[in-house]
Amino acid sequence: MSTSLLDVRDLAVRFRQAGRDVPAVNGVSFTAEPGRTLAIVGESGSGKTVSCRAVMGLLPPSAVVTGSARFAGTELLGLSENDLRRHRGADLAMVFQDPARSLNPTMRVGTQVSEAIRSHLPLDRSAARERAIELMAMVRIPLPRRRYADYPHQFSGGMRQRLMIAIALACHPKLLIADEATTSLDVTTQAQIMDLLLDLQAQLGMALILISHDLGLAASYTDDVIVMYAGGIVEQAATRRLFSAVRMPYTKALLDAVPRLERPPHSPLPVIGGRPPDTGALPPGCPFAPRCPSAADRCRQQAPPLLEHEPGHRWACWFPCENGDPG
Amino acid sequence: MAAPLPDTLLAPGVAVPAPAGAAARRRRRALAPDILIPAAILALIAGGCFLWPLVYPVPAPVGGSILSAGLPPFSPGHILGTDPVGNDILSRILYGGRVSIEVGLAVTLIGLVIGGVMGSVAAYSGGIVDTVLMRVLDVLIAFPALVLAVAIAEGLGPSELHVIWALSFFSVPAFARIARAGTLRLHGQTFMLAARLSGTKAWRILLRHVTPNVLPQLITFGLLGMGVIIILEGALSFLGLGIPDPAPSWGNMIALGQGTLSAQPVLVLIPSLFLLATVLSLNLLGDALRKRWGVR
Amino acid sequence: MAAEAGPAPAGPPAQGVPGDHSPGTAQWGSAGRAVLTSPALRVTGKRLLSAVPVLWGVTFLTFVVMNVLPGDTAQELLGANATPAELQTLRLKLHLNEPFWVRYWHWLSGAAQGHLGDSLVSGQPVTSILGQRLPVTFELMIYTFCLSVLIAVPVAAAAAYRPGGLVDRLSMMLSMAGLSIAPYVLALLLVLIFAVNLRVLPAIGFVPLSQSVVGNIKSLTLPALSIGLPLACFYIRLLRADIVEQMQSEDYVVTARAKGVAPWQVLIRHALRNSMFGFLTVLGLNLGTLIGALVIIEPIFSLPGIGQVLLQSISDRDVVVVEAVVLVFALIVVLANLLTDLLYAVLDPRIRYGRPSA
Repeated sequence: MSTSLLDVRDLAVRFRQAGRDVPAVNGVSFTAEPGRTLAIVGESGSGKTVSCRAVMGLLPPSAVVTGSARFAGTELLGLSENDLRRHRGADLAMVFQDPARSLNPTMRVGTQVSEAIRSHLPLDRSAARERAIELMAMVRIPLPRRRYADYPHQFSGGMRQRLMIAIALACHPKLLIADEATTSLDVTTQAQIMDLLLDLQAQLGMALILISHDLGLAASYTDDVIVMYAGGIVEQAATRRLFSAVRMPYTKALLDAVPRLERPPHSPLPVIGGRPPDTGALPPGCPFAPRCPSAADRCRQQAPPLLEHEPGHRWACWFPCENGDPG
Repeated sequence: MAAPLPDTLLAPGVAVPAPAGAAARRRRRALAPDILIPAAILALIAGGCFLWPLVYPVPAPVGGSILSAGLPPFSPGHILGTDPVGNDILSRILYGGRVSIEVGLAVTLIGLVIGGVMGSVAAYSGGIVDTVLMRVLDVLIAFPALVLAVAIAEGLGPSELHVIWALSFFSVPAFARIARAGTLRLHGQTFMLAARLSGTKAWRILLRHVTPNVLPQLITFGLLGMGVIIILEGALSFLGLGIPDPAPSWGNMIALGQGTLSAQPVLVLIPSLFLLATVLSLNLLGDALRKRWGVR
Repeated sequence: MAAEAGPAPAGPPAQGVPGDHSPGTAQWGSAGRAVLTSPALRVTGKRLLSAVPVLWGVTFLTFVVMNVLPGDTAQELLGANATPAELQTLRLKLHLNEPFWVRYWHWLSGAAQGHLGDSLVSGQPVTSILGQRLPVTFELMIYTFCLSVLIAVPVAAAAAYRPGGLVDRLSMMLSMAGLSIAPYVLALLLVLIFAVNLRVLPAIGFVPLSQSVVGNIKSLTLPALSIGLPLACFYIRLLRADIVEQMQSEDYVVTARAKGVAPWQVLIRHALRNSMFGFLTVLGLNLGTLIGALVIIEPIFSLPGIGQVLLQSISDRDVVVVEAVVLVFALIVVLANLLTDLLYAVLDPRIRYGRPSA
């Protein structure tokens, strides 16, 4: 495991707010490998975005990050802003959820792409421009040369997300984190963007981390899956394995909440009762216990550890679902 | 509001402290130094101006003897010295401060009440009332307000009451604007709609729903505005249009000191210092309260 | 005034939830913004049209105020010892005996055709008085404006670089003090320091530009600082708060950081750039304040600008001159606001190109 491109160990994040600490991520470990796609799945507030932003060093100053995140042998946590800056965009890149807000509305799109290039490569203005146009072509923006001088609002949502990808890929990073990159797009565009991301991943041999709340997306596009709940990992396995043998009731509940064609028409869609917990005031025991259909007394008293119960499959549950459950 | 972290920790910031704890925290926060210090300075200045002359006799601010003219600070009997006609400077500062504080308070209150009511009523009723009011405000704002103040003060003759009249022409439109904007912002909100749909009378909605929401904004603006008013009162007195000459005011003390600026700079510096301390405290207090109340 | 950007306190809920705002122009929703969704040219026409009633209102108000004031020009010119007969003769000569509406209509119809009339006191054409005095005032105005912006932008950027840092706290403290100081007090302090003690700048007087460029700038520096410094302090706080807000809450700032753009570059190329649009509106709106301050500051430095003329004319009840000056001031304010809106439309690409239809 020491040869992983990204090796995150015991990552914990707390936010200092009004004099008290609010934990957001509690001891998360995962790895990302070149050419492979990892999905981090969970509801809002489960800590998936915070974990990845912590790795990138993009959290606000109120965040306290502990643990370790080694990227190609370099420890990222604790690097100075300036050293970290050299890695961001060059080695690790990120695509965000809302392309409408993530692009600077008052700057030409081409400039925003070439700015990413010139932050890392010693290219002059016109060389950076040529390269930016190449990148725009690579993410299949039609007529890139003409659209170079346009502004973000002149692009559709899908095209803006292509621009974000072009910016992220400006310096051929080794790791790309896509944070809900397709959530704000319609279904057709979503598929196009996912295909583009996977194509480019294969082409450039990047490691790809896909952050999503959508298990369906994870099932169709990724190699490995991590399921997060209340700031911690609750289940972790290869995608194929996970979906054939879901163990954690939370994962199963998520899966049941995905709409499916094979269900009889007008059957009610199962939902997960209750709300995601406040990570600042977690109950003792398993954080999912209050919403879990199979919770027992033990779950409310003692938090289950995340253990590798079966080869390549870890989960944190005292009473896992049995094999052969629908998945 | 763009959350820096779309799927994380906005909730915990607002999450459920126990009611008792919340009350305790609010009490603690009310005594925070950023509020306490400027408030204490203001209390000190106001108390000094209004109470000190009653408790501890100071020489009269006017009619000083030429024999004791031009004494430097820390002279016996005249702790801040005397001016070129022999008046005690401390006494003039205290009596002059009364003018500044009275004018500042009166003009701000007039603006708060008249402007506040005008603005909220116009925004709430909308239509022609609002349009006409906005036009009038546009005119008043394009009008060099100082010219108006100068003209009024000049025409009515210098006196404290006339200064208040003149400066209210600034405060009323400014408050009206703020109140109007604040009320308009409430328009789309559900509790307003709910109140309206349940048949609540307009004046009740204005009193019960609009006022508590707009008032913090008006109060913080009023504190900052009072600083401006005190500066402007000084400006009118400085131009000789405020408080008539033998009576003291910080503005006319500064103006009188201007003539002997190079020889006796204290005559300008002392009233300037009091003016600065007062306005600075008002600004600090307004700023701190705005931060506390989350008002823009 | 400046708002400290930061998490909204969990106080009264109604204020705890800030309204959403469009990216780029975080906190200065100006009155002009709504108009700006339409293309620039139509805006110009509309704004010019809406300026006409405002300008008319200003002249009318001035006439009313000047008329309501006790005393008139004849009284002021002849003094308290004048006989009623003398007063009557002068009033007839100056048409002061005619009814208010007639005089106002006379003035208004003249002004509409560009005849601003002659001074009641000196008989000099108002246009020639303006011609002599306005250049000085304009020069001071432009100098003050540039000074305040040139001070404010770098200081605000430096303060916003590390919110809560030493530079930030120092500049916030100093700007609060600067904001609280009266321009006339600052003027006297500056004279005391630079003219009386250091003897590097003149305390009074004006050197025309044609006579000596250096002398001209020197003679205007203290007056410009007296007004420009407090104004700059106001701008510093406003701009700093907006930059901090952009840096903390705008997604494109995160994108820029994720690209590996250096922190300074993020601040200047992204946050400051977007803050400037709102700042522009504030600059336009504040021109009125600037003009008001000029009237007080000019006499302190014995500058032969329009401020002295205005004060003297009010005192003389010289309604013709007062009207002309007030009209010029109002015109500047109206035009400045129009210009900022236009600049906004020219500079902000979202408006320049119109929004895409779906």
